Amino acid sequence: MMQEEAYIGENTTQESKIRKSTIQESIIQESTIQENTRQWNDFRSLNLDLDIRKYGKNLKRFNRGGLFLFTFFLILALIPALFAPYSPTERFIPYEAPSTAHLLGTNDIGNDILSELVYGARISMMVGFASACISTLIGLMIGLLSGYFRGTLDELLMGFTDVVLIIPKIPLIIILGAFLRPSIWILILVLGLLSWESIARIVRSKTLQIREAGYVKSARCMGFSPFHIMVSDIFPNLVHVLLPKFMLATASAMISEASLSFLGLGDISMKSWGIMLSFAFSRGGFIREMWWWYLPPGVCITLCVMSIALIGFGFEGREKEKRGVDAE
Amino acid sequence: MHEAAKKTFRYVASFLLIVTLNFALPRLMPGDPVKNLIGEDVYVSEAVMEELRTEMGLNRPLYEQFTAYIGDLLRFDLGYSYHLHSPVAEILRERIVWTLLFVGVSVLLGAALGTLFGAYAGWKPETKANRLACCGFIALSCTPPYFLALLFLEIFAFKLGLFPFKGFYDVPTPGSIAHHMFLPVTVMALFSASRNFLIMRGSVIQEKGQLYALYARAKGLYDISILFRHVIKNASLPIITLLALDFGFLFSGALFTEIVFSLNGMGTLIYDAIIGKDYPVLQGSFLVVALAVLLANMLADLAYAIADPRVRRPA
Repeated sequence: MMQEEAYIGENTTQESKIRKSTIQESIIQESTIQENTRQWNDFRSLNLDLDIRKYGKNLKRFNRGGLFLFTFFLILALIPALFAPYSPTERFIPYEAPSTAHLLGTNDIGNDILSELVYGARISMMVGFASACISTLIGLMIGLLSGYFRGTLDELLMGFTDVVLIIPKIPLIIILGAFLRPSIWILILVLGLLSWESIARIVRSKTLQIREAGYVKSARCMGFSPFHIMVSDIFPNLVHVLLPKFMLATASAMISEASLSFLGLGDISMKSWGIMLSFAFSRGGFIREMWWWYLPPGVCITLCVMSIALIGFGFEGREKEKRGVDAE
Repeated sequence: MHEAAKKTFRYVASFLLIVTLNFALPRLMPGDPVKNLIGEDVYVSEAVMEELRTEMGLNRPLYEQFTAYIGDLLRFDLGYSYHLHSPVAEILRERIVWTLLFVGVSVLLGAALGTLFGAYAGWKPETKANRLACCGFIALSCTPPYFLALLFLEIFAFKLGLFPFKGFYDVPTPGSIAHHMFLPVTVMALFSASRNFLIMRGSVIQEKGQLYALYARAKGLYDISILFRHVIKNASLPIITLLALDFGFLFSGALFTEIVFSLNGMGTLIYDAIIGKDYPVLQGSFLVVALAVLLANMLADLAYAIADPRVRRPA
């Protein structure tokens, strides 16, 4: 919950931060080699009928749809009482079909499915965002350290990253989950601790670029400590790389959570969408053909994950559009 | 050469990490290690517990346990499942053939589908059909695999009755197996295609801006032959790496699909092991899956070196 509130609060400031950092960057870009690629982009779009700008516009449209959906789910998660007709633990007659009293019917122990669905949003999204926060933080630190200091530390950290990247995550999480009988916090921790590799890699490659920039060099000349340089000079320029990665990490964490819940490794005391779906599968919703039980949570997971992923893609697309396709 | 040595070292390190994790987990986790090693719900008396403890060497120092463990591994001894009353290695050998068949077919199908459609969608990203395809594949890649499997099962097996909804075969003939495997393979292939599609699309969009594409056009080649003769070769390089990494991901996806379709592969084995708290089976499965993924990654590295001469002879 706290994560989400913090996220809303930051949204606008982050926007302005991004804009500021892009202004900085465009100045650097123009003064350096970027001129060349820009000319080439213009030339290409004129001569090759490969209009990058149009492509970018399409992505933006995706992004707007994603934002709309995301806001909807966020409101559901923040004030579920507004939408849910009953408390999710209130009990009625079990296995009821949809009616005006229960828009989506009731489940095996008589809970109203619509209310459960609305309250599940908070838990599913919390798992996603919290574990994405953890993995982004770890990835950021490892990437920054190995990109800034280079040398042996870089070799070690990146070697470690490669090694961790190979280990299949879901089976490992399954084993951990089976041993630990998970509460939601353990689930968040495990998901967060196991998905930082790609973030670390991209942060490192970006840091390698930025550390050669004039302002970092002059900061070093003036004797600022490496820590200070990393926090105040390099980090602000990483935000726009981190943001899409953060969103994608959230999306994949939500899918992982849903999958684990399906295996019965979720936290049953906090009913997320994944657990609802798992119960619908294992407690007869499927065999009785109660589509109103198993369909809504699945659709909600898909839509919510999609909205988050689309926002992430949108950020990435905007990046690509700005500095030509060769940016990665 | 230096690069190759580094790669080998990383693979060895990953292998060691996987083995060590597998060794350490039951001993680190809360609870009695004997219970963790034989499974939670197995009922044994105190005397038998003590006997097992000495037999498994849990009262010996850690390094001795580790060497004994490695020795067991080398003899393909993965422990004994007290739930299924047979050695874990044997159970796994039976199951993994099916899962490998299932995953292999779906990965190949998905790669072919995803690459072709992705290449076309990347070549003309602004047409309506391609935008629609892009939306569709994004939606697919955001669906949890088991939900997709559930939907397919509901629609095609229950409602329309076109396909059986259980098991690998009625009679072990290729026809029956193909009939049973059709739905699960479709689900997994779609799922894998969605990831390949998105990567391929981005990669083609990047590659078609290169000078050689312009040159091919200047030569007067048709669009289609620029795409399929020149661009696709370079653009499909990231797919090879993705396929390997994806193999692990798809393997996990396959586990869920198997559960939904009640196929007797690794997935159902793991599911039953979780429910029964059958830890030896879980550990053995993790080891096998992890090693399979490691192997796939090594193969991909080799394939990459063959497909891309730049990797072999660094400029």
